[in-house]
Amino acid sequence: MQAIQAEDPDALAQLYDRYNGILKALILRVVHNEAEADDLLQEIFMEIWNQAKNFSAQKGKPLGWMVTLARRRAIDGLRKKQAYARAEERLQNETEQQPDAWVHNATEEEIVLGDTRVLIRKVISGLPPAQQQAIDLAFFQGMSQREIAAKTNTPLGTVKTRLELGLKKIYDGLKELKDEL
Amino acid sequence: MSFEEFKKHSRLYVIGALESEELEEFERARAKFGKKAEDFITECYGLHEAFALSLRPAKSSAAIKERLMAMVREKKGT
Repeated sequence: MQAIQAEDPDALAQLYDRYNGILKALILRVVHNEAEADDLLQEIFMEIWNQAKNFSAQKGKPLGWMVTLARRRAIDGLRKKQAYARAEERLQNETEQQPDAWVHNATEEEIVLGDTRVLIRKVISGLPPAQQQAIDLAFFQGMSQREIAAKTNTPLGTVKTRLELGLKKIYDGLKELKDEL
Repeated sequence: MSFEEFKKHSRLYVIGALESEELEEFERARAKFGKKAEDFITECYGLHEAFALSLRPAKSSAAIKERLMAMVREKKGT
């Protein structure tokens, strides 16, 4: 990141090679459209280049900063293009077909055991499906508690509890992971 | 709001799930707890990284990188 802050294009190229797959997956999870995801990916890396001076290592890791930026951009993009309703419908179909997408991903054969990714998925997939769904809708779709309650026909208080419990379990799980790694 | 409650709210805050009325209360508590609050919020942003890492990486075309680097080099040159 220091090299990018010093405006070294090769450093951005390296950063792109390292993280484009993760950021594209995140964007895709939000917008559900390959072409839009590619456009947003390019915009986000341009923003990383333009905003690099605002990154502070004291406030976290570069990946965390980039993910925060990418998520906000992707959700903004989704709303600006007024594709929210269509994505919601698609998400609903996907949720019905695949109520525990995170759990499904965790069993992919190609994933190498011992990878940090697997450990994180293990933490997430350990949550009850209702908690996973609430977090998924909040994080990847940018929904408020009220929107989640309406979408899932669940009382607002229950949604809040699901989010609080689920996030705490993931947070605690991550802390344990950090201690182990 | 106790610090334990603040921690619960912080985790909701970083994923943008606080409702507007909760947000006001959260910001008051954030100011009250000062650095301790800021440090905890920073820690909570680790959740973003974790959610992204939980996804299987997606492939993107080489053209994206080429376009990006062309834009960056052009911007740097101007």
